[in-house]
Amino acid sequence: MPGMWWLVGTGLVLGLVAAYLIWTAGRVERLQARAELAARALDAHLLRRAAAAAVLAERRYGVELYAAARIALDAAPDEREAAENDLTRQLRTVDLDPADRDCAAVIAASRRLALARQVHTDLVRDARSARGRPLVRLFRMGRRHSWPRYFDIDDPTLTVPADVTTG
Amino acid sequence: MRIGIVCPYSFDVPGGVQNHVVDLAEALIGLGHEVSVLAPADDDAPLPPYVVSAGRAVPLPYNGSVARIAFGPVSTARVRRWINRGEFDVLHVHEPLTLSLSMLAVLCARGPVVATFHTAMTRSRVLAAAQGVLRIVLERITARIAVSALARKVQVEHMDGGAVEIPNGVTVARFAGARPLPAWPGECGPGQGGTVGFLGRFTEPRKGFPILRDAFVALAPHRPGLRLLVAGPGDRDDLYARFPAELRERVTFLGLIPEVEKPRMLRSVHLYVAPNTGGESFGMILTEALAAGTTVVASDLDAFRRVLDGGRAGRLFPTGDAVALRAALTELLDDPARRAELTACGDQVVAHFDWPVVARRVLEVYAAAIEATDGRVIDQEWAGLPERM
Repeated sequence: MPGMWWLVGTGLVLGLVAAYLIWTAGRVERLQARAELAARALDAHLLRRAAAAAVLAERRYGVELYAAARIALDAAPDEREAAENDLTRQLRTVDLDPADRDCAAVIAASRRLALARQVHTDLVRDARSARGRPLVRLFRMGRRHSWPRYFDIDDPTLTVPADVTTG
Repeated sequence: MRIGIVCPYSFDVPGGVQNHVVDLAEALIGLGHEVSVLAPADDDAPLPPYVVSAGRAVPLPYNGSVARIAFGPVSTARVRRWINRGEFDVLHVHEPLTLSLSMLAVLCARGPVVATFHTAMTRSRVLAAAQGVLRIVLERITARIAVSALARKVQVEHMDGGAVEIPNGVTVARFAGARPLPAWPGECGPGQGGTVGFLGRFTEPRKGFPILRDAFVALAPHRPGLRLLVAGPGDRDDLYARFPAELRERVTFLGLIPEVEKPRMLRSVHLYVAPNTGGESFGMILTEALAAGTTVVASDLDAFRRVLDGGRAGRLFPTGDAVALRAALTELLDDPARRAELTACGDQVVAHFDWPVVARRVLEVYAAAIEATDGRVIDQEWAGLPERM
């Protein structure tokens, strides 16, 4: 009965395709969710750094740093990257003394921000490459999430870890 | 924090990754964290209390050498059980792209995963044939660490992702406190005496032993009392055959020395020479020599220049140039003040490679990985981080 075999074969193939699609959908969903959580962590670290910089500016170094910190805190989403880069530049111009409490807080916040940025960039890249696959686009998997966006800022590290003379 | 670390290679044989894992685990425990290490090992092998055995490793030809690894259904079950029981805040796997426990752990893990890449050669032939598998493994990793600039470069260029560069650590206290071997390093004055050391496989061209040999053979007749201390695997007669008969009594060969003897060997010389001609991605031995308080003379490789802070913490000479090496040896053996200056700077440099310092940087990566997995921000105090480093 060749008809029977056709039926079984088609069923098997359909089953495999379905399993693959379900697995891919789950994978896309997971990568999306992770990129969003990483974005939240990055946001928190940006706020932390700006707040630490504002505290430092109030005590010393004055107006320009304080203004940069305020602008970074208040920036609208589309201006935020530029505002954060400005803050990084301002922080690089001042002479930070690691022995000072507030300075140390800024240095530590910048270091943590650099890590959060690195992780976020990697996870966004993974999510984007998963979303960009033809099959994923065809079935519009992950459409409940917005397209993952990079947050493109300069490396905020104030003391380069590889350079052992500072740090 | 509860930390699960996976080591892909068996503890029955010594190796760089195994040492790294043990030192990291002990540093993290020292900082007050709970650590469990999963590694392949014989069931009756003596293991540190924080190590859990994942069963026997089988020798497998891999990447041109024989690796003892564990992979298969039994190992998978053990990995899964260990992860479920451990309830780890973060899982830290080493070399996850080898067919090993590390890869199994990545595939079983649910929470944040941090991966450390040790070798620059992470693209193996086995995995090049299975790009899809590679992607699935990499996708599950939250944050990546590379132990050297070279390993990081491979990550960026071939693995399609960044990595945080955190160097190998060194347990400074173990090296700084070691006693020299009896009757070493001996006298060293202007124009005479002095001991020069070399550690490593002298037959391997990349280690550059012939360059040191040439410099030694040229210098020894003009400098009475100059001695050479060599340690590492190799055949004694083969080594002595490389020296003229009248100089052989001034060469001492220790053979392969155990890890615990290394600090003593390094403290038994006035100058430690690293004449490598390439292939060194980090220069672990240099940080160890610095930790022992020994003056370092090294070839001008990128990796070495970075460790020696551009020549502030040790003398660099043009790679492969035996004449320049000879000049550097003469200059430093004649000048104890200069040696003291270099070692004083070396102490500062090596403080950045001390395991507790390195472990704190690893903890920051753990924190970043956890944050990216559940979106909350970890307080510094909770992560056990100091206010400044």
